Amino acid sequence: MSDAPFQLEYDWYDRGLPANIHVGRDVYIDTAYGFAPFRSEQTPGLVLGDASGAYDRATFMVGPRGTISVGEYTVLNGTYLVANDRITIGSHCLLAWGSVLTDTWIVQASPSVRRAVLRAAASDPGRHLGAAEPPRPVTLEDNVWIGFDSVVLPGVTLGRGAIVGCKTIVTADVAPYDVVVGDPMRIVRRLDADDTREARERALRECSRP
Amino acid sequence: MTQLFYPLTPGAALPGDWFPGKIPLNVIAGENTVIDSSFCFKHFFSTAPTGLRVGSHVTIWRTSLAADAGAVIEIGDYCYLANASLVCTERISIGSYVMIAGGVTIADSDFHPIGPAGRIADTVALSGRGDRSLRPPIEVRPVVIEDGVWIGWNATILKGVRVGEGAVVAPGALVIRDVPAGAHVAGNPARPVEGTT
Repeated sequence: MSDAPFQLEYDWYDRGLPANIHVGRDVYIDTAYGFAPFRSEQTPGLVLGDASGAYDRATFMVGPRGTISVGEYTVLNGTYLVANDRITIGSHCLLAWGSVLTDTWIVQASPSVRRAVLRAAASDPGRHLGAAEPPRPVTLEDNVWIGFDSVVLPGVTLGRGAIVGCKTIVTADVAPYDVVVGDPMRIVRRLDADDTREARERALRECSRP
Repeated sequence: MTQLFYPLTPGAALPGDWFPGKIPLNVIAGENTVIDSSFCFKHFFSTAPTGLRVGSHVTIWRTSLAADAGAVIEIGDYCYLANASLVCTERISIGSYVMIAGGVTIADSDFHPIGPAGRIADTVALSGRGDRSLRPPIEVRPVVIEDGVWIGWNATILKGVRVGEGAVVAPGALVIRDVPAGAHVAGNPARPVEGTT
Protein backbone atom coordinates (compact mmCIF):
# COMPACT_ATOMS: atom_id res chain seq x y z
CA MET A 1 0.00 0.00 0.00
CA SER A 2 1.26 3.48 -0.82
CA ASP A 3 0.82 6.40 1.54
CA ALA A 4 -0.30 8.97 -1.05
CA PRO A 5 -2.75 8.98 -3.95
CA PHE A 6 -1.24 7.28 -6.95
CA GLN A 7 -1.84 7.89 -10.61
CA LEU A 8 -2.38 5.17 -13.19
CA GLU A 9 -0.10 6.14 -16.05
CA TYR A 10 -2.75 5.54 -18.73
CA ASP A 11 -5.60 7.27 -16.87
CA TRP A 12 -7.47 10.27 -18.35
CA TYR A 13 -8.66 11.19 -14.82
CA ASP A 14 -5.85 12.98 -13.05
CA ARG A 15 -6.77 12.81 -9.35
CA GLY A 16 -5.27 9.39 -8.77
CA LEU A 17 -6.30 6.46 -6.61
CA PRO A 18 -6.93 6.93 -2.87
CA ALA A 19 -4.00 6.15 -0.57
CA ASN A 20 -5.97 3.86 1.76
CA ILE A 21 -6.66 1.08 -0.68
CA HIS A 22 -4.78 -2.16 -1.08
CA VAL A 23 -4.33 -3.28 -4.67
CA GLY A 24 -3.08 -6.83 -5.17
CA ARG A 25 -0.75 -8.08 -7.87
CA ASP A 26 -1.90 -8.08 -11.54
CA VAL A 27 -4.99 -5.99 -10.76
CA TYR A 28 -6.45 -3.91 -13.60
CA ILE A 29 -8.22 -0.59 -12.89
CA ASP A 30 -9.67 1.25 -15.93
CA THR A 31 -9.72 4.68 -14.31
CA ALA A 32 -9.47 6.35 -10.91
CA TYR A 33 -12.67 8.20 -11.85
CA GLY A 34 -14.57 5.35 -10.17
CA PHE A 35 -12.96 6.41 -6.88
CA ALA A 36 -14.18 10.01 -7.03
CA PRO A 37 -16.97 9.15 -4.48
CA PHE A 38 -14.62 7.04 -2.29
CA ARG A 39 -14.54 8.69 1.17
CA SER A 40 -13.58 5.76 3.38
CA GLU A 41 -11.45 6.74 6.37
CA GLN A 42 -10.69 3.11 7.20
CA THR A 43 -7.32 1.44 6.60
CA PRO A 44 -7.63 -0.21 4.22
CA GLY A 45 -10.95 1.09 2.95
CA LEU A 46 -10.79 -1.26 -0.02
CA VAL A 47 -8.90 -4.43 -0.85
CA LEU A 48 -8.71 -5.61 -4.47
CA GLY A 49 -7.41 -9.20 -4.57
CA ASP A 50 -4.74 -10.46 -6.95
CA ALA A 51 -5.72 -10.47 -10.67
CA SER A 52 -9.10 -8.86 -9.99
CA GLY A 53 -10.26 -5.98 -12.17
CA ALA A 54 -12.37 -2.79 -11.98
CA TYR A 55 -13.40 -2.19 -15.57
CA ASP A 56 -15.23 0.61 -17.36
CA ARG A 57 -17.46 2.58 -14.95
CA ALA A 58 -16.91 0.44 -11.84
CA THR A 59 -17.63 2.92 -9.04
CA PHE A 60 -16.82 2.79 -5.33
CA MET A 61 -19.28 4.93 -3.35
CA VAL A 62 -17.86 4.37 0.12
CA GLY A 63 -18.70 6.44 3.21
CA PRO A 64 -16.19 7.34 5.97
CA ARG A 65 -16.88 4.13 7.94
CA GLY A 66 -17.33 1.88 4.93
CA THR A 67 -15.03 -0.90 3.74
CA ILE A 68 -15.04 -3.22 0.73
CA SER A 69 -13.06 -6.36 0.10
CA VAL A 70 -12.83 -8.08 -3.29
CA GLY A 71 -11.30 -11.52 -3.79
CA GLU A 72 -8.89 -12.88 -6.40
CA TYR A 73 -9.81 -12.99 -10.11
CA THR A 74 -13.10 -11.17 -9.51
CA VAL A 75 -14.44 -9.03 -12.37
CA LEU A 76 -16.15 -5.71 -11.49
CA ASN A 77 -17.35 -4.64 -14.93
CA GLY A 78 -19.13 -1.33 -14.55
CA THR A 79 -20.48 -2.25 -11.13
CA TYR A 80 -21.66 0.28 -8.54
CA LEU A 81 -20.72 -0.55 -4.95
CA VAL A 82 -22.34 1.49 -2.15
CA ALA A 83 -20.77 0.78 1.25
CA ASN A 84 -21.32 2.61 4.51
CA ASP A 85 -20.60 -0.51 6.57
CA ARG A 86 -19.16 -3.46 4.65
CA ILE A 87 -19.37 -5.20 1.30
CA THR A 88 -17.51 -8.50 1.02
CA ILE A 89 -17.03 -10.10 -2.41
CA GLY A 90 -15.33 -13.47 -2.78
CA SER A 91 -12.98 -14.80 -5.45
CA HIS A 92 -13.89 -15.59 -9.09
CA CYS A 93 -17.06 -13.50 -8.97
CA LEU A 94 -18.46 -11.88 -12.15
CA LEU A 95 -20.35 -8.59 -11.73
CA ALA A 96 -21.81 -7.14 -14.91
CA TRP A 97 -22.45 -3.57 -16.04
CA GLY A 98 -25.05 -1.49 -14.26
CA SER A 99 -25.26 -3.93 -11.36
CA VAL A 100 -25.51 -2.37 -7.91
CA LEU A 101 -24.54 -3.78 -4.52
CA THR A 102 -25.66 -1.53 -1.67
CA ASP A 103 -25.51 -1.96 2.08
CA THR A 104 -27.56 1.22 2.54
CA TRP A 105 -31.12 1.94 1.53
CA ILE A 106 -33.35 4.90 2.25
CA VAL A 107 -36.44 4.04 0.23
CA GLN A 108 -38.39 2.37 3.02
CA ALA A 109 -38.06 5.35 5.36
CA SER A 110 -41.03 7.67 5.81
CA PRO A 111 -41.42 10.83 3.70
CA SER A 112 -40.51 12.97 6.71
CA VAL A 113 -37.24 11.06 7.19
CA ARG A 114 -36.46 11.45 3.49
CA ARG A 115 -37.16 15.18 3.74
CA ALA A 116 -34.72 15.46 6.64
CA VAL A 117 -32.06 13.54 4.69
CA LEU A 118 -32.50 15.84 1.67
CA ARG A 119 -32.40 18.98 3.83
CA ALA A 120 -29.18 17.80 5.45
CA ALA A 121 -27.66 17.05 2.04
CA ALA A 122 -28.62 20.52 0.78
CA SER A 123 -26.55 22.16 3.51
CA ASP A 124 -23.57 19.80 3.13
CA PRO A 125 -20.79 21.16 0.90
CA GLY A 126 -20.24 17.71 -0.65
CA ARG A 127 -24.00 17.15 -1.02
CA HIS A 128 -23.65 13.71 0.55
CA LEU A 129 -26.91 11.86 1.20
CA GLY A 130 -26.90 10.45 4.73
CA ALA A 131 -28.37 7.04 5.47
CA ALA A 132 -31.89 7.05 6.89
CA GLU A 133 -31.46 3.64 8.45
CA PRO A 134 -28.36 1.75 9.61
CA PRO A 135 -26.46 -0.02 6.83
CA ARG A 136 -26.50 -3.82 6.72
CA PRO A 137 -23.50 -5.66 5.21
CA VAL A 138 -23.72 -7.38 1.84
CA THR A 139 -21.77 -10.59 1.23
CA LEU A 140 -21.01 -12.47 -1.98
CA GLU A 141 -19.32 -15.81 -1.43
CA ASP A 142 -16.89 -17.18 -4.05
CA ASN A 143 -17.84 -17.62 -7.72
CA VAL A 144 -21.09 -15.63 -7.68
CA TRP A 145 -22.28 -14.12 -10.99
CA ILE A 146 -24.46 -10.99 -10.94
CA GLY A 147 -26.12 -10.20 -14.29
CA PHE A 148 -26.31 -6.69 -15.73
CA ASP A 149 -28.57 -4.02 -14.21
CA SER A 150 -29.32 -6.20 -11.15
CA VAL A 151 -29.60 -4.68 -7.70
CA VAL A 152 -28.51 -6.44 -4.50
CA LEU A 153 -30.13 -4.81 -1.45
CA PRO A 154 -28.78 -4.36 2.12
CA GLY A 155 -28.29 -7.38 4.38
CA VAL A 156 -28.23 -9.92 1.56
CA THR A 157 -25.82 -12.87 1.38
CA LEU A 158 -25.35 -14.75 -1.90
CA GLY A 159 -24.05 -18.30 -1.55
CA ARG A 160 -21.12 -19.77 -3.43
CA GLY A 161 -21.63 -20.39 -7.16
CA ALA A 162 -25.03 -18.64 -7.29
CA ILE A 163 -26.22 -16.77 -10.40
CA VAL A 164 -28.41 -13.66 -10.38
CA GLY A 165 -30.02 -13.11 -13.79
CA CYS A 166 -29.95 -9.69 -15.40
CA LYS A 167 -32.24 -6.96 -14.08
CA THR A 168 -33.09 -8.98 -10.97
CA ILE A 169 -33.84 -7.24 -7.66
CA VAL A 170 -32.28 -9.33 -4.90
CA THR A 171 -34.19 -8.75 -1.67
CA ALA A 172 -33.34 -11.98 0.20
CA ASP A 173 -30.45 -14.38 0.68
CA VAL A 174 -29.68 -16.74 -2.20
CA ALA A 175 -28.56 -20.29 -1.39
CA PRO A 176 -25.31 -21.67 -2.86
CA TYR A 177 -25.60 -22.70 -6.55
CA ASP A 178 -29.16 -21.35 -6.92
CA VAL A 179 -30.06 -19.38 -10.06
CA VAL A 180 -32.48 -16.51 -9.34
CA VAL A 181 -34.15 -14.15 -11.83
CA GLY A 182 -36.79 -11.48 -12.09
CA ASP A 183 -38.63 -8.93 -10.04
CA PRO A 184 -40.03 -10.30 -7.83
CA MET A 185 -37.09 -12.67 -7.70
CA ARG A 186 -37.70 -16.40 -8.09
CA ILE A 187 -35.49 -19.50 -8.10
CA VAL A 188 -35.37 -21.14 -11.53
CA ARG A 189 -32.58 -23.68 -11.20
CA ARG A 190 -29.99 -25.28 -8.95
CA LEU A 191 -26.55 -25.84 -10.44
CA ASP A 192 -24.20 -28.77 -9.90
CA ALA A 193 -21.42 -27.81 -7.51
CA ASP A 194 -18.68 -28.66 -10.00
CA ASP A 195 -16.34 -25.80 -8.96
CA THR A 196 -14.04 -28.09 -6.99
CA ARG A 197 -10.50 -27.36 -5.87
CA GLU A 198 -9.31 -29.49 -8.79
CA ALA A 199 -11.43 -27.43 -11.24
CA ARG A 200 -9.85 -24.24 -9.91
CA GLU A 201 -6.32 -25.61 -10.14
CA ARG A 202 -7.00 -26.77 -13.70
CA ALA A 203 -8.39 -23.32 -14.62
CA LEU A 204 -5.34 -21.56 -13.17
CA ARG A 205 -3.10 -23.93 -15.12
CA GLU A 206 -4.95 -23.89 -18.44
CA CYS A 207 -6.39 -20.36 -18.73
CA SER A 208 -3.38 -18.30 -17.56
CA ARG A 209 -0.72 -16.85 -19.79
CA PRO A 210 2.41 -18.99 -19.84
CA MET B 1 -24.68 24.67 -36.07
CA THR B 2 -22.59 21.74 -34.86
CA GLN B 3 -22.81 18.78 -37.15
CA LEU B 4 -24.22 15.87 -35.16
CA PHE B 5 -24.17 13.12 -37.77
CA TYR B 6 -21.81 11.95 -40.48
CA PRO B 7 -22.32 9.48 -43.33
CA LEU B 8 -21.37 5.97 -42.23
CA THR B 9 -18.39 5.46 -44.52
CA PRO B 10 -16.19 2.35 -44.23
CA GLY B 11 -12.60 3.16 -43.27
CA ALA B 12 -13.32 6.85 -42.68
CA ALA B 13 -12.21 9.06 -39.81
CA LEU B 14 -15.20 11.36 -39.22
CA PRO B 15 -14.38 15.08 -39.36
CA GLY B 16 -14.80 16.65 -35.92
CA ASP B 17 -15.20 13.27 -34.19
CA TRP B 18 -14.30 13.59 -30.49
CA PHE B 19 -13.13 9.96 -30.42
CA PRO B 20 -9.88 9.23 -32.25
CA GLY B 21 -11.16 6.17 -34.12
CA LYS B 22 -12.19 5.17 -37.61
CA ILE B 23 -15.17 3.38 -39.11
CA PRO B 24 -14.03 -0.25 -39.65
CA LEU B 25 -13.44 -1.41 -43.22
CA ASN B 26 -15.69 -4.49 -42.97
CA VAL B 27 -18.83 -2.33 -42.89
CA ILE B 28 -21.37 -1.95 -45.71
CA ALA B 29 -23.86 0.93 -45.43
CA GLY B 30 -26.55 2.22 -47.79
CA GLU B 31 -27.27 5.80 -48.78
CA ASN B 32 -28.19 8.45 -46.23
CA THR B 33 -27.18 6.23 -43.31
CA VAL B 34 -25.47 8.27 -40.59
CA ILE B 35 -23.61 7.88 -37.29
CA ASP B 36 -22.47 10.38 -34.64
CA SER B 37 -19.04 9.02 -33.69
CA SER B 38 -16.57 6.22 -34.32
CA PHE B 39 -16.89 5.60 -30.56
CA CYS B 40 -19.85 3.35 -31.52
CA PHE B 41 -17.19 0.89 -32.79
CA LYS B 42 -14.97 0.90 -29.67
CA HIS B 43 -15.91 -2.73 -28.95
CA PHE B 44 -16.28 -3.83 -32.57
CA PHE B 45 -13.77 -6.66 -33.09
CA SER B 46 -15.50 -8.51 -35.93
CA THR B 47 -13.14 -9.92 -38.52
CA ALA B 48 -16.00 -11.25 -40.68
CA PRO B 49 -15.81 -10.10 -44.33
CA THR B 50 -18.85 -7.94 -43.57
CA GLY B 51 -19.15 -7.50 -39.81
CA LEU B 52 -21.85 -4.84 -40.04
CA ARG B 53 -24.33 -4.48 -42.88
CA VAL B 54 -26.68 -1.48 -42.66
CA GLY B 55 -29.36 -0.43 -45.13
CA SER B 56 -30.28 3.08 -46.21
CA HIS B 57 -31.67 6.04 -44.25
CA VAL B 58 -30.58 4.58 -40.89
CA THR B 59 -29.61 6.72 -37.88
CA ILE B 60 -27.08 5.37 -35.36
CA TRP B 61 -26.51 7.61 -32.33
CA ARG B 62 -24.34 6.73 -29.30
CA THR B 63 -24.91 3.04 -29.86
CA SER B 64 -22.37 0.41 -28.89
CA LEU B 65 -21.84 -2.03 -31.73
CA ALA B 66 -19.95 -4.65 -29.71
CA ALA B 67 -18.98 -7.54 -31.94
CA ASP B 68 -16.74 -10.55 -31.28
CA ALA B 69 -14.38 -11.89 -33.95
CA GLY B 70 -16.92 -13.91 -35.93
CA ALA B 71 -19.90 -11.65 -35.34
CA VAL B 72 -22.26 -10.28 -37.99
CA ILE B 73 -24.74 -7.47 -37.26
CA GLU B 74 -27.41 -6.76 -39.89
CA ILE B 75 -29.69 -3.70 -39.85
CA GLY B 76 -32.35 -2.91 -42.49
CA ASP B 77 -33.59 0.44 -43.83
CA TYR B 78 -35.01 3.44 -41.95
CA CYS B 79 -34.00 2.14 -38.49
CA TYR B 80 -33.25 4.46 -35.57
CA LEU B 81 -30.82 3.32 -32.85
CA ALA B 82 -30.37 5.76 -29.95
CA ASN B 83 -27.98 4.96 -27.09
CA ALA B 84 -28.47 1.20 -27.38
CA SER B 85 -26.02 -1.70 -26.99
CA LEU B 86 -25.83 -4.53 -29.50
CA VAL B 87 -23.62 -7.24 -27.99
CA CYS B 88 -22.99 -9.79 -30.71
CA THR B 89 -20.99 -13.01 -30.71
CA GLU B 90 -22.57 -14.64 -33.78
CA ARG B 91 -25.49 -12.79 -35.40
CA ILE B 92 -28.01 -10.07 -34.58
CA SER B 93 -30.44 -9.31 -37.43
CA ILE B 94 -32.65 -6.22 -37.31
CA GLY B 95 -35.29 -5.58 -39.99
CA SER B 96 -36.46 -2.26 -41.40
CA TYR B 97 -38.35 0.55 -39.67
CA VAL B 98 -37.19 -0.64 -36.24
CA MET B 99 -36.97 1.94 -33.44
CA ILE B 100 -34.57 1.17 -30.59
CA ALA B 101 -34.66 3.54 -27.62
CA GLY B 102 -32.03 4.52 -25.04
CA GLY B 103 -30.53 1.96 -22.69
CA VAL B 104 -31.68 -1.00 -24.75
CA THR B 105 -29.45 -4.10 -24.78
CA ILE B 106 -29.68 -6.81 -27.43
CA ALA B 107 -27.36 -9.79 -26.83
CA ASP B 108 -27.00 -13.13 -28.62
CA SER B 109 -24.96 -14.90 -25.91
CA ASP B 110 -24.83 -15.54 -22.16
CA PHE B 111 -21.41 -13.76 -21.92
CA HIS B 112 -20.10 -16.43 -19.50
CA PRO B 113 -20.58 -20.19 -18.90
CA ILE B 114 -23.46 -21.19 -16.62
CA GLY B 115 -21.66 -23.99 -14.72
CA PRO B 116 -19.65 -22.94 -11.64
CA ALA B 117 -16.40 -24.63 -12.80
CA GLY B 118 -16.70 -22.97 -16.22
CA ARG B 119 -17.06 -19.59 -14.56
CA ILE B 120 -13.92 -20.15 -12.44
CA ALA B 121 -12.02 -20.82 -15.68
CA ASP B 122 -13.58 -17.74 -17.32
CA THR B 123 -12.52 -15.39 -14.50
CA VAL B 124 -8.95 -16.66 -14.82
CA ALA B 125 -8.90 -16.33 -18.64
CA LEU B 126 -10.35 -12.78 -18.40
CA SER B 127 -7.93 -11.63 -15.68
CA GLY B 128 -4.71 -9.73 -16.11
CA ARG B 129 -2.89 -13.07 -15.83
CA GLY B 130 -5.13 -14.88 -18.27
CA ASP B 131 -5.40 -15.51 -21.99
CA ARG B 132 -8.78 -14.56 -23.47
CA SER B 133 -8.32 -17.05 -26.29
CA LEU B 134 -8.56 -19.78 -23.63
CA ARG B 135 -12.06 -18.80 -22.44
CA PRO B 136 -14.41 -21.79 -22.01
CA PRO B 137 -17.33 -22.28 -24.45
CA ILE B 138 -20.35 -20.00 -24.01
CA GLU B 139 -23.87 -20.63 -25.32
CA VAL B 140 -24.77 -18.44 -28.32
CA ARG B 141 -28.09 -18.15 -30.19
CA PRO B 142 -28.77 -15.47 -32.81
CA VAL B 143 -31.40 -12.75 -32.28
CA VAL B 144 -33.88 -11.61 -34.94
CA ILE B 145 -35.89 -8.37 -34.73
CA GLU B 146 -38.42 -8.24 -37.58
CA ASP B 147 -39.69 -5.16 -39.43
CA GLY B 148 -41.56 -2.38 -37.69
CA VAL B 149 -40.71 -3.33 -34.10
CA TRP B 150 -40.54 -0.69 -31.38
CA ILE B 151 -38.25 -1.36 -28.40
CA GLY B 152 -38.70 0.98 -25.42
CA TRP B 153 -36.20 2.50 -23.00
CA ASN B 154 -33.95 0.10 -21.06
CA ALA B 155 -35.62 -2.98 -22.50
CA THR B 156 -33.44 -6.05 -22.97
CA ILE B 157 -33.64 -8.75 -25.65
CA LEU B 158 -31.68 -11.91 -24.83
CA LYS B 159 -30.20 -14.69 -26.94
CA GLY B 160 -32.29 -16.79 -29.30
CA VAL B 161 -35.27 -14.42 -29.28
CA ARG B 162 -37.26 -13.52 -32.41
CA VAL B 163 -39.40 -10.40 -32.05
CA GLY B 164 -42.19 -10.60 -34.63
CA GLU B 165 -43.19 -7.93 -37.11
CA GLY B 166 -44.73 -4.80 -35.65
CA ALA B 167 -44.38 -5.91 -32.02
CA VAL B 168 -43.97 -3.47 -29.14
CA VAL B 169 -41.50 -4.16 -26.31
CA ALA B 170 -42.37 -1.88 -23.38
CA PRO B 171 -39.70 0.12 -21.54
CA GLY B 172 -37.75 -2.00 -19.02
CA ALA B 173 -39.01 -5.32 -20.38
CA LEU B 174 -36.71 -8.35 -20.27
CA VAL B 175 -37.51 -10.49 -23.31
CA ILE B 176 -36.39 -14.13 -23.06
CA ARG B 177 -38.95 -15.80 -25.35
CA ASP B 178 -40.18 -15.13 -28.87
CA VAL B 179 -42.66 -12.28 -29.24
CA PRO B 180 -45.45 -12.94 -31.76
CA ALA B 181 -46.02 -10.43 -34.56
CA GLY B 182 -48.07 -7.47 -33.39
CA ALA B 183 -47.84 -8.36 -29.69
CA HIS B 184 -47.16 -5.89 -26.87
CA VAL B 185 -44.98 -7.27 -24.05
CA ALA B 186 -43.78 -5.83 -20.72
CA GLY B 187 -42.11 -6.84 -17.44
CA ASN B 188 -39.31 -9.12 -16.19
CA PRO B 189 -39.68 -11.66 -17.64
CA ALA B 190 -41.68 -10.00 -20.40
CA ARG B 191 -45.29 -11.15 -20.77
CA PRO B 192 -48.06 -10.05 -23.14
CA VAL B 193 -49.93 -6.98 -21.90
CA GLU B 194 -53.64 -7.67 -21.45
CA GLY B 195 -55.90 -6.46 -24.22
CA THR B 196 -53.25 -6.96 -26.89
CA THR B 197 -52.55 -9.95 -29.05
